[in-house]
Amino acid sequence: MRTGLTPLAAKQDEGREQGVWRRRFGSILTELAIWLPLSIAAGHVVLFTAWTTWVSFTASSLMPDYTWVGLRNYWAVTRTANFQIACVNLLIFGFGFVLLTMALGLLLAILLDQRVRGENVLRTIFLYPLAVSFVVTGTVWSWLLNPGLGLQRVVQNLGWQDFRFDWLVQSDKAIYTLIFAGVWQGAGFAMALFLAGLRSVDADLVKAAQIDGAGPWRTYRRVLLPTIWPIFITVFVILLRSAITSFDLVRALTGGGPGISTMLPTLVVYDFMFQRSELGRGSAAAVLMLLSLVVVMAPYGLYVRWQRQRQARA
Amino acid sequence: MPITTRRRLLVGSAAALAMPAFARAQSEAKPRITAISQWSAGSDGAAISALGKLFEERGGVWQHNPVPGFTTEMMNKLRAQIMAGDPPAISQLKGPEIAAWSKIAPTVDISPWVKTAGFADRVPAELAKSCQPGGHWIALPLQVYRINTLFMSTKGMQRAGVTKAPTSWAEFNDTAEKMKAAGMIPLANGGIRYDDGMKFEIALAGISPEVYRRAIMQLDTDALKGKEVLAAFEQLRKFANVMNPNIAAQPWAVNLPAFVKGDMGMVLMGGWAQGNLFKAGATLADFSSGPAPQESGPPCFDLNADCFIFWKPKGADLEAGQKLFAETVMQPSTQEMYSKITGSIPARTDVNLAAEGFTDGQRNSAQNLRDAIAKDRVVLSLGHNMAQPNGMTAAMIDVLTEYVHNSAIPAVEGQKRLVAAVAGAQ
Amino acid sequence: MKWTRVIVYAALIILALLFLVPLGVVVVNSLRSSREIAATSLIGWPSHLIFTNYGQAWNRFCMAEHCWGIEPYMLNSLTLAIPATIISTLLGALAGYSISLWRFRGDQFVFGLVTLGIFLPEQMKLIPWVVVLRDLSLMNTIAGLILIHTVQGMSFTTLFCRNYYVGIPQDLLKAARIDGAGFFRIFWRIILPLSPPILIVTVIFQFTGIWNEFLYGVTFTSGGQQPVTAALIALSAAITSEPMYGEQSAAVLIAALPTLLVYLFGGRYFLRGLTAGAVK
Repeated sequence: MRTGLTPLAAKQDEGREQGVWRRRFGSILTELAIWLPLSIAAGHVVLFTAWTTWVSFTASSLMPDYTWVGLRNYWAVTRTANFQIACVNLLIFGFGFVLLTMALGLLLAILLDQRVRGENVLRTIFLYPLAVSFVVTGTVWSWLLNPGLGLQRVVQNLGWQDFRFDWLVQSDKAIYTLIFAGVWQGAGFAMALFLAGLRSVDADLVKAAQIDGAGPWRTYRRVLLPTIWPIFITVFVILLRSAITSFDLVRALTGGGPGISTMLPTLVVYDFMFQRSELGRGSAAAVLMLLSLVVVMAPYGLYVRWQRQRQARA
Repeated sequence: MPITTRRRLLVGSAAALAMPAFARAQSEAKPRITAISQWSAGSDGAAISALGKLFEERGGVWQHNPVPGFTTEMMNKLRAQIMAGDPPAISQLKGPEIAAWSKIAPTVDISPWVKTAGFADRVPAELAKSCQPGGHWIALPLQVYRINTLFMSTKGMQRAGVTKAPTSWAEFNDTAEKMKAAGMIPLANGGIRYDDGMKFEIALAGISPEVYRRAIMQLDTDALKGKEVLAAFEQLRKFANVMNPNIAAQPWAVNLPAFVKGDMGMVLMGGWAQGNLFKAGATLADFSSGPAPQESGPPCFDLNADCFIFWKPKGADLEAGQKLFAETVMQPSTQEMYSKITGSIPARTDVNLAAEGFTDGQRNSAQNLRDAIAKDRVVLSLGHNMAQPNGMTAAMIDVLTEYVHNSAIPAVEGQKRLVAAVAGAQ
Repeated sequence: MKWTRVIVYAALIILALLFLVPLGVVVVNSLRSSREIAATSLIGWPSHLIFTNYGQAWNRFCMAEHCWGIEPYMLNSLTLAIPATIISTLLGALAGYSISLWRFRGDQFVFGLVTLGIFLPEQMKLIPWVVVLRDLSLMNTIAGLILIHTVQGMSFTTLFCRNYYVGIPQDLLKAARIDGAGFFRIFWRIILPLSPPILIVTVIFQFTGIWNEFLYGVTFTSGGQQPVTAALIALSAAITSEPMYGEQSAAVLIAALPTLLVYLFGGRYFLRGLTAGAVK
């Protein structure tokens, strides 16, 4: 049974009484309302990705230039130190940011779930970083994490002369400062989703566990957290997306430095495409970035399909 | 003849005389110019606004769109406009990028205007060459900066017991040691990439402008692998050891209060630093400036210049505007005004800087330029995208900035990576 | 059991203070003069309070020839963000409804394609958008930016709305169709009234994202039409040549006010919307 026909067929039956033209007009409008926005949205995704992929195989530099050069851009990009460092950094930043944000978000959600007074105020305090643009976040954190301006100086002025917190200026540790700033910005979002999930768990389940004598921590571990498992997935996907497309934050906080030690793929794409005026190489970097995304998202897609099949069978 | 008739005759002849002018005014639209630059603030913003006012005083309509951000954002906007088929009449561009961009959109041959103004012989040869990629003029230089300038903090010198500015790298290193012993940070620097590239080029140009030319401007592999480049890397490491360790990604200007106070001793920066110092509240008594150390021979001139490229316009008003703009820019008085505001030196070498409003530093710099032209010791800046197109520059600066911030990389390795980067970016 | 309450409150207060530190720094800096900040440090107490930074940032600071402050740019951002948010939210609701409830052949496939859009980095899409806007003659107009943000916004809004609408039982629709309702009537009478929670979430998300966006705002507009993010970046670039930290902090606060207010007032509904099943 073709699902596309069912609503239409039902409509046609009742439409016969209301007039052929009105019915026809209505169905055209319906098809338009369904297909026009969706085809533009889906189309722009497909076309832009296709165009970028095509350009990645051409000799484009300042402007698009459709001379085919095969894999030359890919070889050139993967050989630059910039890109190699960016890939490693994406792994570090991606995992660190996503996991820490989820952990902090979960902690905040559990704390706020305890029916504390002033929950509204506290919730707003944890959510407001989301309202601030990444450029501002990066700039302010670049002040706070600067050894000569921020935390290190303040603590040293308070007396602890040996206190050091100069990760921002160390090539091998600067990437972690990005995680700091990112977690600060994103924890509120994770908290909101987890809190929403915790609050929507069936109260009877919780009561049953409490009757069985489970303490608060066990209730959480055994009952509440497993129930909101789907939320973990959603939060994971959205945070991952945030990590991968992260650009303004890095630019404002470290500028890719010290040296080139905090480069990320989006910065490499921007650098190649616009700073070095090498569109072909920039597009190749972008395609590689998207491929790595497929590698991560494929398991999620399979999981969703497995879950749907399991529900269909149940 | 009756009075009325004579009056009629007078009016008639006056009208006849006025007619050609009137007809001319009808066919010549009011000169208008659309411009894109990155100069939205600071002394650059003030200077370009003053230029705009001058343009309007001379009868033109000035439509300037400053793009917020830095050069990349400006080029982004320019690229978008060109792709949309609507380039501005003039846009800020420099060095080899003029040649590269001129290939993607039509430009205007302004050689006749340049000839009329007698401008060509009065600018440094390298600069003139960069404005004529196809053999004819398509761009005009606005101002010139010397990159290899050394600023010394007066209070800092007193504190470290240093009496004169160093003139060789050995003297520089000694001075740095003295300053370090006095508890100061010897070299005030910025955390942005081009700053690191600039330190390297100052080191190399100070060692040998001829090798600089062969290695950096011509990308000769033998020169790149030679001992002068190695010595430049070693000097760069010495710079890195005496720089501000906490600068992170801040611009170098955050060091200025410390520099004025005497907690930092030296700055190796282009001539615009003078403007930054004044903006930060310093006076001429707080610092001294001069050419950076030069190992042998008279000081070379590491040149950075801003130019405007002329894109083929659509409309007679824009064409007229371009002509008016070109004439305005090439005039000595305009160049003088511009340099007074930004702290640069005019692109025209025949402008008299004895006038009020210029500092001795600028005068010294201008004289330096004239001498360097005469002795063929002018080189083009690497860090400021004058020597190489952006792609090559970026690849080289990747190596240099990583070297500066990672003290585990030895000079030999740095040199090897530079050679590899140059090969990879070609 | 009392001490666990103490720990909970203590942890929350400490974390809340940590979260507030960056905002506090910006607020304090906006009350110090730029000279003082440059001379002492970016983080520190004001020696005396200054309120001129706000006036300076609002309508006096200069971007090249224009000394309008950020006021006109704020208006531009509002003109951009409000329509784009509303349109992309409505279209997302419509699309989410068609995909999850109305159903049609290939709906899951189309949904996957649209959702994939959230992962595309905006740097990559810049040049294709130039070509599109050029062909539609929308370069250097706010309308062009609205188009871009609407089309791109649909990826997010469709995702959110569809995940919410799958929670609505199909029987509701079947009953309505038997009663003779068509596509639009069901949407208007049944779906929309059930949607406020997710619509609020979507509006908050979209408004914040569009308001804070910089790259497209600068590339596709010129001069006086630029959004407020462009003015903020101009201030940051100005900092490299002269100390303007006080004005920058004030400008940042003013520019962030709309989104902060949105979160302040919408925060409650944000949570309610998520509770109602935005997450699936």
